[in-house]
Amino acid sequence: MTQKKIAIVPPHGLKLTQAADIKQRKLHLKADAVIVGSGAGGAIAAYELAAKGKSVVVLEAGPYVPSEKFTEMMAIAMGTLYQDHGGQSNADGDISILQGACVGGSTVVNAALCFRTPDYYLKLWAQEFGLSNLSPAVMAPYFDKVEANLKIRQNGPHETSIGAEMINAGLQKLGIPAGVARRNVKDCGLTGFCFAGCVSDRKQSMLVTYLPWAAAHGARIYADTRATRVLAEGGVARGIEAEVVDPASGRKKADLRVDAPIVVLAAGPVQTPLLLQKSQLANSSGQVGKNFACHPTLSLTAEFDDKVDDFHGAAHSLYVDKYTLPEEGGYLLLNAVQDPVEASFQVEPGTGKPYVSYMSRYRNTLRLITLIHDKNVGEVSWKDGAKHIRYTVDDADFEAMKAGLKTNARVLFAAGARRVHLPSSQALVMESPADIDRVIDGLKNQPARYRYTSFHPQGTCRMGADPAKTVVNPHGETHDVRNLYIADASLLPTSIGYNPSETVYALASYIADHINAAHPAAAQG
Amino acid sequence: MPEPTSTSLHPHTLQALAQIQRMDRRAFLRFGLAAAGVAAGAGLLAPGAAQAALPEGIKVMSAGEHAVFQRLLAVMLPTDGSALVPAAQIPVMQTLDAALLATMEPHILQGLKGGVRYFDDGPQARYGKRFTALGDAEAARFCDEWADSPELPQRALAMGLKKLVGLAYWAHPPTWAPLGYDGPVTRKWGLQSLGNAPLPQVSQAQPQ
Repeated sequence: MTQKKIAIVPPHGLKLTQAADIKQRKLHLKADAVIVGSGAGGAIAAYELAAKGKSVVVLEAGPYVPSEKFTEMMAIAMGTLYQDHGGQSNADGDISILQGACVGGSTVVNAALCFRTPDYYLKLWAQEFGLSNLSPAVMAPYFDKVEANLKIRQNGPHETSIGAEMINAGLQKLGIPAGVARRNVKDCGLTGFCFAGCVSDRKQSMLVTYLPWAAAHGARIYADTRATRVLAEGGVARGIEAEVVDPASGRKKADLRVDAPIVVLAAGPVQTPLLLQKSQLANSSGQVGKNFACHPTLSLTAEFDDKVDDFHGAAHSLYVDKYTLPEEGGYLLLNAVQDPVEASFQVEPGTGKPYVSYMSRYRNTLRLITLIHDKNVGEVSWKDGAKHIRYTVDDADFEAMKAGLKTNARVLFAAGARRVHLPSSQALVMESPADIDRVIDGLKNQPARYRYTSFHPQGTCRMGADPAKTVVNPHGETHDVRNLYIADASLLPTSIGYNPSETVYALASYIADHINAAHPAAAQG
Repeated sequence: MPEPTSTSLHPHTLQALAQIQRMDRRAFLRFGLAAAGVAAGAGLLAPGAAQAALPEGIKVMSAGEHAVFQRLLAVMLPTDGSALVPAAQIPVMQTLDAALLATMEPHILQGLKGGVRYFDDGPQARYGKRFTALGDAEAARFCDEWADSPELPQRALAMGLKKLVGLAYWAHPPTWAPLGYDGPVTRKWGLQSLGNAPLPQVSQAQPQ
């Protein structure tokens, strides 16, 4: 292990290598650890390993977009920061599956909402997956740690939005308790543009925290670099093969190989299983890519008599989790601000004059999101040389969605809504609370009928004690390949019904500690 | 639960429909970037250009496809009598062509073209006319009927083609002003960057 001099974290920006910096056709690197992905899991693993003196290489398929280039226009953000330019979806094309695809990953474009993994799921995972090591007592210090490092705290009274205040009034009328969001944000500017990246670096994404910290400890970060194969010999990980791709032309610029005795995959729940499948590794269970879940969401849009102007403020500030555990209903309600481009296709008021009339009243609208805890019924795989995400909303999950939509609509009417629009292919409006049961009971679970969005893919490389049923052992190492670790939301054995970012932060920290314990000294340098 | 997929459309058409459905956010980029280029280069459509067979700047659509999209735009965004910017003042067709169609994979584009034909032929059975020949009221009714169709491809087309055309309009920032939406604010509000966070203290947790 080489002792490295600790550099000072620069005030702005990140030292890394991009495609434009590469002059050779082939690069061959050596390191103690190579990490695929620079999002929540990858960045934390990179820092934790580098801080213990390991030489670390991070490979990120997406580009490096410094925060001063963020535009606060979703048009631009989707193309530069999101997977498939925001176009990733299930095979039916009716669920938009959004993931960050840039240096910093989804932490750059999420709304910074944080929840500790509920004890309910930690206990369930212990019972059903043998993860008794992830007890609430063991995980608590990891949550404490990432909360301190990422400035995760409850919103202050001013960190809200006009829409959230109106929804809160509705909740109070109904006697439903509102949760106050906890976010990894420092001195929030209240612009409402979390989903397009935080221009002023107030969101404590990996871009301004763990990645510059890892770089300060010597980690070498490569953007525009897509891993193509995991290297292993005799059941032991050896490194990664990758391609550096010019983001402007899409052409390969160089082949890159990293030889490393520790390999950590943190490319996310879609790309990590695809990489393992392509490498034909770690899949003796046949579970790689299976058990995909994604927390599908549907938004109801409420119209009010007066202008709301719910454009800015905290992107998320309140939630309702009274019904979130499966036994309570299996759904979570979240407020969110909405720009007019997104509002333009969220509902179908009717073609022509009804649509013009609806959009003319955009200032009078706000939305409330219903997110469901879903079953792990999907699968990520290769099909005809392209990724294929097979996932349809399960019938039982759709009933949970309907229950959530009913509560959602009641809250919006209690907040004073004149009418509430459903996100269906056809015009579907509730004019009063008396319409709620009739309209929502009539919904059928059909593809291309609703306008779903998912921000939380998960579950495709389950963690567990049984090698026949899971991909990764309780400490993050694959059952089949020694020294090959996974540290992203692929690990989650079940969906958790809440935003999973803090779960990933904590799990990545936990797994990094185990890697450091298992590899107290490394010598590639 | 899932209803049977219609076999009346070529698989590439269904793929194109899927792509349209999932383009909600990707489209923003393409439309946003192309809109700027189109607005700067080709200029706004002159009133009446909407009736031209193929206005300047259209490179991917055929004249027939342009007629379908142009008719759909007129039917879904009748801005007269409202405060909205008239669609004729926004280069919607050029944006759609340059920003989306020109960047589609060839097999997806061919599927979409098939879908546009299918959509245009759709009213023949009930109305005895193509979509492009329907009057305003009939065309709007046809769109709403397909949006609530028991046939998956008809729902997907009604929803997807309208989304395409709508995005090509709303991606232009000038369309936001009548809505009262003020767009980006960080620089306008003078918010300063906080930059990188300092290194954290030594880690507290230990592996168990």
